[in-house]
Amino acid sequence: MPKDASTDKPLVELVNVTKIYPPDVVAVEDVSLRIYKGEILFLTGMSGAGKTTLIKLICRLETPTSGVIEVAGRDLSRISTAGIQRMRQKIGVAYQEFRLLDKQTVLQNIAMAMEVTYASTKDIQARVEELLALLNLSDKRDKLVGELSRGEQQRVALARAAANGPSLLLADEPTGNLDAAATELVVNLFRHLNEKNGSTIIVATHDESIYAETQHRVMALCNGKLSAHPNRAPRQIELFEA
Amino acid sequence: MHFLAYILRQTGKNLRQTWGTQVMTLLTVTLSVLLFAFFFLIYTNMLRASTRLGNDVRLIVYLDQEVTAPMRPVLEKKIRGFAPVEKIVFVSRTEAFARLSAQLGKEKDILNDMGPDFLPPSIEVYPLKKLDDLTKINQFSDFLLTLPHAAKVQSGSDWLRRFGYFTNLLRAVVLLSGSLLIISMTFIVSYTLRLTVLSRQGELEILRLLGATSAYIRLPLLLEGMLQGFLGSSCGLAALYILYQWIARHFSGPGFLNLFDFAFFPPELTTAILLTSVLLCTGGSLFSIRRFIRV
Repeated sequence: MPKDASTDKPLVELVNVTKIYPPDVVAVEDVSLRIYKGEILFLTGMSGAGKTTLIKLICRLETPTSGVIEVAGRDLSRISTAGIQRMRQKIGVAYQEFRLLDKQTVLQNIAMAMEVTYASTKDIQARVEELLALLNLSDKRDKLVGELSRGEQQRVALARAAANGPSLLLADEPTGNLDAAATELVVNLFRHLNEKNGSTIIVATHDESIYAETQHRVMALCNGKLSAHPNRAPRQIELFEA
Repeated sequence: MHFLAYILRQTGKNLRQTWGTQVMTLLTVTLSVLLFAFFFLIYTNMLRASTRLGNDVRLIVYLDQEVTAPMRPVLEKKIRGFAPVEKIVFVSRTEAFARLSAQLGKEKDILNDMGPDFLPPSIEVYPLKKLDDLTKINQFSDFLLTLPHAAKVQSGSDWLRRFGYFTNLLRAVVLLSGSLLIISMTFIVSYTLRLTVLSRQGELEILRLLGATSAYIRLPLLLEGMLQGFLGSSCGLAALYILYQWIARHFSGPGFLNLFDFAFFPPELTTAILLTSVLLCTGGSLFSIRRFIRV
């Protein structure tokens, strides 16, 4: 269920954020947005609307040309390298291009995310098994990622993003290669993380099927500018403007 | 504990991924250490032998006439006046004959036809140990030749000079092989690590995205260099020890090795060579890590 934004401090806050790629490509323009702890936010828009850039700005893979981005109350431009490393351990990111290691197994790829936090082998095994079961990939555990279909690789990327039970999960086009059944698994995973771990989830997608029935906030990006989704209820616009 | 386990596991993984290059690097490090340690071993033994030979320096002045008893203190005073001397021994013809006879032992019969005065009388001069400079010994030798009735002076300085030249040459070889050791270790290990980094570039990029710390990424690579240094120098020193044992076994008995009292490195020096190798290889890997890894 959507969280009440009236009293909480935002987990992620963007204030007048603009990102211009050289020479003068405006990817994101003057975006201000507050995302609260435990919230699920859908960022929609056509290809090239700026969804991926916004995701990259939030996990500091990119730095804004102007504006301020705060995660858990900390200005990303002022965090040290070590601080960014610690922050990334708590943020799960499922990239649009997956960024998996083809020559390693599904288990190894997912385990990587937990290994950097020095989790024990026992905990890693248990967590990977749980995630593989949730995403219907249990039989692929020891397969090389390069041997999997695009849809399966996408689910592995999601499993890796969810491995540490992140406080913030960023998913870029998480259902781009999935059929309806697999999409349902992914939505269930988001619900599971949100309800069980209290994870805040930001989903950048142009797949209407995953947010059509949702009660959560849906925002639209168009040519780098953010607005409330035209088909959403007024309450969501209020949340956006809060 | 998990951190250590990861570092070790990742180091093993790196070694497996580039095992061909790792073996070549290990061989290069081993050969460099073996080459350097071999010459260094000979050099240290030569130095020790040189010190011992310096301690044993004795100048013998052969005379064409016996020194009379009243002349002895005069000569002794003259010799001591020129250089500090530990001991002076006057050897008469009879004493020289008795010595030779004793040295020949059962073969002394061959002297039956010789008279007891066929050997020249002599003065044996034992300089103090501080007189270890070859030039000073030569000067002393020249002075002794000016003594009354002195016919010839035997100082062994020619032999000592040649020995000195050889030691100097060996010092140059040790320096050369030492330089080779430094260059080969630093560069080869650095190059191997660069290959490791290149082969893991994709993985390192993902690790960065997942929030891996600098230590998490860099320590296994540093450990890889340390291991190369440790294993390479251990193998090199072990090979040298086996070679030393073989030489000692096959060349034991009277001969060259006995003359020089040939010995292996003391444990402290062995440890020092090992640690230096580890340091050099670690330096090589550190160079690559700083140059090629951005965390």
